[in-house]
Amino acid sequence: MATYILRRMFSTVAVMAMVGMFVFLLLRLAPGDPAAMIAGKAATAEVIAGIREQMGLNDPLPIQFISWVHDILQGDLGTSLFAGRPVLELVSQRLEPTISLSILTMVISVTAGVCFGIVAAWRAGGLVDRILTAFATFGFSVPVFVVGFFLIYFCAINTHWLPVQGYKLIEHGFGPWLEHLILPTVTLSVPYIAFIARITRASMLEVLSEDYIRTAAAKGASTYSVLFHHALKNAAAPILTVIGLSFAGLIGGVVITETVFNIPGIGRLVVDAINSRDYPVIQGVLILVSGLYVLINLAVDLSYTLVDPRIRY
Amino acid sequence: MTITRRDLIKASLAAGTAFSVPSVLRAQTAATAGRTVRMVMGSFPRTFDPMFTTDDTAQSHGLAIYDTLFALDSKFMVQPQMVQKWGVSDDKKTYTFELRDGLSWHDGAAVTAADCVASIRRWAQVQSGGQLMMERTKDISKKDDRTFSIALKEPLGLLPEILASAPPLFIMREKDANRPATEQVTTNIGSGPFKFNEALSKPGASITYDRNEQYVPRRETADGFAGGKVVNVDRVVWENIADQQTAYAALQAGEIDFIQTPSTDLLSVIESDPNLQLEILDKGGRILLLRMNCLQKPFDNVKARQAILHLVDQEAFLQASFGNPKYFRTITSLFGNDTPYSNDENTEWFKKGGDPEGAKRLLNEAGYAGEKIVLLQPTDWTESSNASQLLAAELRKIGANVELAPSDWGGIVERRAKMGSVEEGGWSLFITDHSNYGTTQPHTNIDMVANGKKGWYGWPTSDEYESLRAKWVEVDTLEERQALAGKMQKVYWDFVGMVYLGAYVQPSARRKSLTGLIGMPAYLPMWNMQRVSG
Repeated sequence: MATYILRRMFSTVAVMAMVGMFVFLLLRLAPGDPAAMIAGKAATAEVIAGIREQMGLNDPLPIQFISWVHDILQGDLGTSLFAGRPVLELVSQRLEPTISLSILTMVISVTAGVCFGIVAAWRAGGLVDRILTAFATFGFSVPVFVVGFFLIYFCAINTHWLPVQGYKLIEHGFGPWLEHLILPTVTLSVPYIAFIARITRASMLEVLSEDYIRTAAAKGASTYSVLFHHALKNAAAPILTVIGLSFAGLIGGVVITETVFNIPGIGRLVVDAINSRDYPVIQGVLILVSGLYVLINLAVDLSYTLVDPRIRY
Repeated sequence: MTITRRDLIKASLAAGTAFSVPSVLRAQTAATAGRTVRMVMGSFPRTFDPMFTTDDTAQSHGLAIYDTLFALDSKFMVQPQMVQKWGVSDDKKTYTFELRDGLSWHDGAAVTAADCVASIRRWAQVQSGGQLMMERTKDISKKDDRTFSIALKEPLGLLPEILASAPPLFIMREKDANRPATEQVTTNIGSGPFKFNEALSKPGASITYDRNEQYVPRRETADGFAGGKVVNVDRVVWENIADQQTAYAALQAGEIDFIQTPSTDLLSVIESDPNLQLEILDKGGRILLLRMNCLQKPFDNVKARQAILHLVDQEAFLQASFGNPKYFRTITSLFGNDTPYSNDENTEWFKKGGDPEGAKRLLNEAGYAGEKIVLLQPTDWTESSNASQLLAAELRKIGANVELAPSDWGGIVERRAKMGSVEEGGWSLFITDHSNYGTTQPHTNIDMVANGKKGWYGWPTSDEYESLRAKWVEVDTLEERQALAGKMQKVYWDFVGMVYLGAYVQPSARRKSLTGLIGMPAYLPMWNMQRVSG
């Protein structure tokens, strides 16, 4: 097990290195000039050239790359060309909103999604199953921003129950923090509930048709015991995979929800950085997110051993 | 498991309580927000040094935290601001300026003449008016802590106008101003009416300004950028709300007080809301215009440029870009609509509906042989993007081989700097805009230059026009300048350095409880405004 984890940790570093190299080259080859963005619409070519020179953007690409890698090895992800602040500082400022949103979303999505999936499989073909399947199809098909604006209209503008937008740090109190997260979390949860419910239903249906389930029912096990002790445990592996991938995807993919609800998270940071061609910020965030993605996948792989004793690393 | 009616009632009560908690908490925290104004600006500043960038919002930031020597009032007349007294020598070659009492930096130190001298030198590195001034300047030096002088090689009657022109000459601390203009100042310490609150500002998310209690305003009433900068609120927060629909919803809900540039499709719904008000702060508005690459085929030929001038149906472009005729109008004068220099010289090219037949003839006369024309289309600027698509369609109708090159604005600002042919990654046309007020400043406005490769993107050349433009700073009276404007326009619309697509105004949206906003071109001063109850 320890060897396996160690090997996976090394692969994480390798993946981050590859992502770093790819992103660095992609950004330099893509059109756009940070100096021109900084200088503004009315700037002359002369002024832009001066800024480029000052920022070292005229240095040959290999030199820029070596300098960047050197800084990363020292634990420095660079400094934003625009804000003039270290990338790590900018990321740390944006981490709490994204992590809060992602964790709350996953808690709601997993709880509701797994429950819906189990109930749908248990009542397969019945009215409840059809309603839940219809919800899953709807939830998976409707774009996040449509759900978001719908909720803003009814829960914020019409009723004033909740704020339209923004984020309050948890240090300002649990109430305001939660108040600002309810609408974005519900919005973001809808497709994930649908996704997890569908996978859970399919996985449970497969397990519920097995002989040992029939045996368990025949020996007098309760419905609860059959569903949760016998079926869910054996159906858990694909559900865990989906949950892990969803969580990893959430960290880097909450940008639309963050935009609709004006949450200053990682997604907004990277989109703004792409629009302004803030190379160090884009590179830094993508490297961190890719590392996180690999680590979450590792955690999911390890969690298989908890639900299926036959799996060993 | 069975669910009883009692269980259902309990669950409903619990859910109701859970949902009501957030609004109760909000009511408890909302009381302190009374003297805080929350605003969504036209763009969110990516960098704060207003001499490092020409971005309008960075200049509005500059207006908040820095002060200026002179400023323009609402009639665009120059008024002293940090300057108490000033005078010019008999030979009109030496200007002396004395600072007024009570000027201090946000860190408590006094503003000195040395700060002003360093700031003028830095500003002149990047501002075209400043560059013009430096060409004629022998020396800028401090006389004592509160007095400095500018000694000229030859008289320059427009010197105070240049010092008051845009982008503004913000006075910075000497140690900040000693940096080259291509190196960003990040300290955000000025002597203006607002202090930058670094602790509460989050790069890319929000910026917080606090009232500078030490600031001593002039005694005059606020008037344009000039007069007493009296701050009536405790705090101003700029929020970076990227989505227009969210910004509008936040304005409706009272979470923000102001949107500087609401999108065109939201104007009618804002207008119908009893709590909201649309207000045109920049009454002169802006001009949508087309730059042509005059160094490359086919627009290196004046006939091809004239073809575009004749082709354009301004009303169609304005309709496609801005929709509501209430907010746009056509424009024929190089010197803008309703400015002291607006005139009708050489505007016969303007025809309602455009003149496609004339344009086709002119394009043929230019010897156009189907060369590829690349039109840069900014996908993240709706108005310009719509206008680009219409222009491409109109050009195709007269036989031009047009290729739209869509990209975000970031891609365009890089590509527009390329002087080479389209095969070498260059360009033929792109649409941008400039302030109507800016047209009254041909001596400093980079768009109105026609000195070839030394000038702005498109690089038109006309020696005749340039010799007339050089006289702008030499004529003394308004009448002389108006006559000169007519001559310049006559030449300009013959060689066609750029083409106007129309003029528009941009309404801002505010809650009716926010009053006293000062309307000036391009930049938004934040003094004078206040929140009223209701």
